Amino acid sequence: MLTQAELVVLLAAIANGDVAAFEQLYGATRAKLYGVLLRTLGKPELAEEVMQETYLKVWKMADKFDSTLASPITWMVAIARNRAIDIVRKKGEVSIEDESEAMEVAADTPAPLARREMTEELKRLLSCLGKLDPEKQRIVLLAYYSGWSRDQLAKKLDIPVNTIKTWLRRSLLEIRGCMGA
Amino acid sequence: MLDEDQETLAAEYVLGTLTAEEREHAEALLTFDSGFEAAVRQWERRLGELNVMVEAVEPPSKLWDRIKHEVSPAATAAAAEASHDLGEPLAAEAGSPRDLYEPPTVDVPTSDLSLSAEAALAAETADVSPADTSAALPAAEPRTIERSADVIYLANRVRRWRRLTLGVAAIAALLAIYVAVGQTAPDLIPARMRPAGSGMVARSDGSVRMQQDRLVAVLQQQPTAPAFLVTLDTQNRTLIVRRVSATPETGKSYELWLISSRLGVPRSLGVVGGEEFTQRPLPGNYDVDTLRTASYAVSLEPSGGSPSGAPTGPVLFTGKAVESLPAAQPPKPAKT
Repeated sequence: MLTQAELVVLLAAIANGDVAAFEQLYGATRAKLYGVLLRTLGKPELAEEVMQETYLKVWKMADKFDSTLASPITWMVAIARNRAIDIVRKKGEVSIEDESEAMEVAADTPAPLARREMTEELKRLLSCLGKLDPEKQRIVLLAYYSGWSRDQLAKKLDIPVNTIKTWLRRSLLEIRGCMGA
Repeated sequence: MLDEDQETLAAEYVLGTLTAEEREHAEALLTFDSGFEAAVRQWERRLGELNVMVEAVEPPSKLWDRIKHEVSPAATAAAAEASHDLGEPLAAEAGSPRDLYEPPTVDVPTSDLSLSAEAALAAETADVSPADTSAALPAAEPRTIERSADVIYLANRVRRWRRLTLGVAAIAALLAIYVAVGQTAPDLIPARMRPAGSGMVARSDGSVRMQQDRLVAVLQQQPTAPAFLVTLDTQNRTLIVRRVSATPETGKSYELWLISSRLGVPRSLGVVGGEEFTQRPLPGNYDVDTLRTASYAVSLEPSGGSPSGAPTGPVLFTGKAVESLPAAQPPKPAKT
């Protein structure tokens, strides 16, 4: 895995049309992005489609990447997740089998990492998350990792959707207060 | 700093818990509200770190070939075309020339996007497609040729507004539900402003069929509270705006915009007056079909309206017109 600084350099080269740099970036990030997309989309075919769209977008928008705002991988994951969530939302009423399949894939949040593998930013986020009630922590994490809507979270966890809505709102505002700008 | 509603919208957009409609709304805001965009980027940074814990999964190896195939020819075509069209390099600090060739981000038939600005853009840049690679130059060359800043700016604007019009159209579908003003809020337009005998036709079931020359748009932030009611009389070319619950800040003005993919960029329909009602001739020569299909938006501008002719402030309200006229009372007999 390349370092963050190396990825930033690659993105700068990609902004200049460097296909070789693009290939290197792909090699360094593909498994992470594919893992994220599989979790949200459930189906490999869909995940591949969104992979393709995501990397094309990265190719076109590399010059828009701003390393003061995000790390390369965070930026790319945001592009991929956004597209994936658009797809699952706009498909709207996914057929029941589709949904349960995706739910199974996403049913649990990932296993915790050893602390030494964590970035500083992640430690900060987790310490803020840790200040929330356990059930609210779980909802925020589940939402992020599964890409479920409030309705789906409500159904899956058997909690009224209005409660989910209130919890999410409070939790997110607390996280903002805890992490700062 | 955003208020808590906006902040939560930004956060939930990133978290992924919004409904399709709420996402459309957030995406429309993203295209023209820089404060909201900044909040979204911040949330992407705050929550994005969670990806570290996601297990990496190796994608199929054929995937790279597909991606590479889409990338390489486009790059070489751009290089070839750019060097043929522009006799001399322009040393402007513009974005990457590839900006100019970004395909629409939404799947819409190109023929539907007859944007005037886009047409102008196409004329400037010539049509480049991967098929034009026959005269490909070495891929290393493209960066020696830069476009002028103007062209890039135009390209970006066209893209922004194209996304916007599509986003707004989808929001509008939501809003249209609340535009059943005739049933729910019959007196939103005062009698003196209703056209005399405007051709409402009562049907036996008590519903009212409206004459087709009135367009009404409700512009709102919250589904339950309309903020502006815009009525367009396409026959008499008049525009009536009623402020329902919006109060302008001091030193600021609300400006009404017409947003249509046919027009490319938003067109001002003028500043909304300080009174509850603003009535004036409909500016511009927009045809009825454009008015009917357009979205409408209100932005907060410096007093007197946008100095640049394009929205500069946050867009606060959006909505789409429906052909309707609020029924004030049991409808009069149809005009003869």
